[in-house]
Amino acid sequence: MQALRTAATGMAAQQLNVEVISHNIANMNTVGFKRERAEFQDLLYQTFQAAGTQSSDQGTIVPTGVQVGAGVKASAVYRVGTQGSLTKTDNQYDIAINGRGYLQVLLPSGENAYTRAGNLSVNDQGQLVTQDGYQIQPAITIPSDAVSVSISKAGQVEVSQAGQTAPSVVGVLELATFVNDGGLEALGDNLLKETAASGAPTTGTPGSVGIGTLQQGYTEASNVDAVSEITALIVAQRAYEMNSKVISTADNMLATANQVKA
Amino acid sequence: MDNAVYVGISRQMVLRREMDIIANNIANLDTTGFKVESLMQKTDPAEPARTLGGPRPVKFVAADTVARDFGQGALNKTDAQLDMAIEGEGFFQIQTANGPRFTRDGRFTTDPTGRLVTQNGLPVLDEGGGEITIDPEKGQVAVGADGSMSQGNERVGKIGLYAFANQSALEKAGDNTFRNASNLQPQPAAKAKLRQGYLETANVKPVLEITRMVEVSRAYESTAKLIDAEAELSRRSVERLGRVQ
Repeated sequence: MQALRTAATGMAAQQLNVEVISHNIANMNTVGFKRERAEFQDLLYQTFQAAGTQSSDQGTIVPTGVQVGAGVKASAVYRVGTQGSLTKTDNQYDIAINGRGYLQVLLPSGENAYTRAGNLSVNDQGQLVTQDGYQIQPAITIPSDAVSVSISKAGQVEVSQAGQTAPSVVGVLELATFVNDGGLEALGDNLLKETAASGAPTTGTPGSVGIGTLQQGYTEASNVDAVSEITALIVAQRAYEMNSKVISTADNMLATANQVKA
Repeated sequence: MDNAVYVGISRQMVLRREMDIIANNIANLDTTGFKVESLMQKTDPAEPARTLGGPRPVKFVAADTVARDFGQGALNKTDAQLDMAIEGEGFFQIQTANGPRFTRDGRFTTDPTGRLVTQNGLPVLDEGGGEITIDPEKGQVAVGADGSMSQGNERVGKIGLYAFANQSALEKAGDNTFRNASNLQPQPAAKAKLRQGYLETANVKPVLEITRMVEVSRAYESTAKLIDAEAELSRRSVERLGRVQ
């Protein structure tokens, strides 16, 4: 019976939905996290009687057909790239991106990754790195005698050094933008990777046309909305239950068929 | 003699198909732009139940058509700038390798070249049947209720909204799309409004589907009873007739 398999696709889809929702809730407090959404599409349809076929020699046609669908499939897990709210931290190495763009991170493998998580630190050589110690590109080194670091909205990094009155510029942070942000592949650790779907990155200084600005002393909170996630969770759970109800009903129908006395 | 059994079986076959359709509706409870379906039944052959003089023909049950309810699904606010929902009668047109398809699923995105595409990477067409390209550098995309898209002060295109004089001409093609199975030409949708940042949820009514499922399941059982009773009748007649001799 098709209904059994159809309901099974429904249960599998809702399971994926719950997994995505729980991932969102688990990352509610992850800096720079973008919520994800499971997307569904209906599966193929089996046509038992096609619409538009002739029903008589006079050329009358069947106005509508009989088509039975085979259930549902997950088409994508889509990342919703809306801006997260900015949280004030007052940490001089925390930078939030206000608008489009990603910080570029050099992975140990030599590849580039991209992140919105601007909670940076300096390593033992004074280089600006992520929480995992991966270097930010273009590389910026903070001198060891720096008293304070200031990062402008346009990404200019200035340090005040002991014994000097004027601050000196040690580098400029750049942001990368993509035509299709949704096409980036998540690597975990708040990192994203370029794919054929995202297109090649375009880099530029913050604040130039089409690129966001930086905000020092802030981090970007995740854009997960707890209320909508919980609502979605309730909907997913009920949908799962309903699909299991279909399975038990279809099962009962088969049992009825089996009990017919021949 | 066995007609009652065959009539019962014809009914059960239709009930099974109806159950399959209900299962598909419930499985797609959460599918954006999904339109609920129900099976219409007919008697077969379709002559009147009594014909004067002649013997009464035996009636079977057959699946007639699948009725599709194109009613509006609830709009769900998502705030994603390329999520779009249609309010009222109308469809987006998308280009596939097998010709144009129509959909109410407005979860759009851009491909690496900036074209407006569906989740499956198929281009969304404008009112003239051309593709729409967005330059992300130019900032936020704003979409008006008529489908016109602009970035800042610059107009970048107009999403085409199409309607059919008879929507039942559309056939489902999977992936949330419909195929035009008739020779009707799509017309510009006059009554449709586009809502940016919203998605249209499936118009499945869970309570209704569950109720119908219970109904189908019980009807299936009672038809099984009928088949049983018919079998019992022939068993008894064989017994009795045997005794008379």
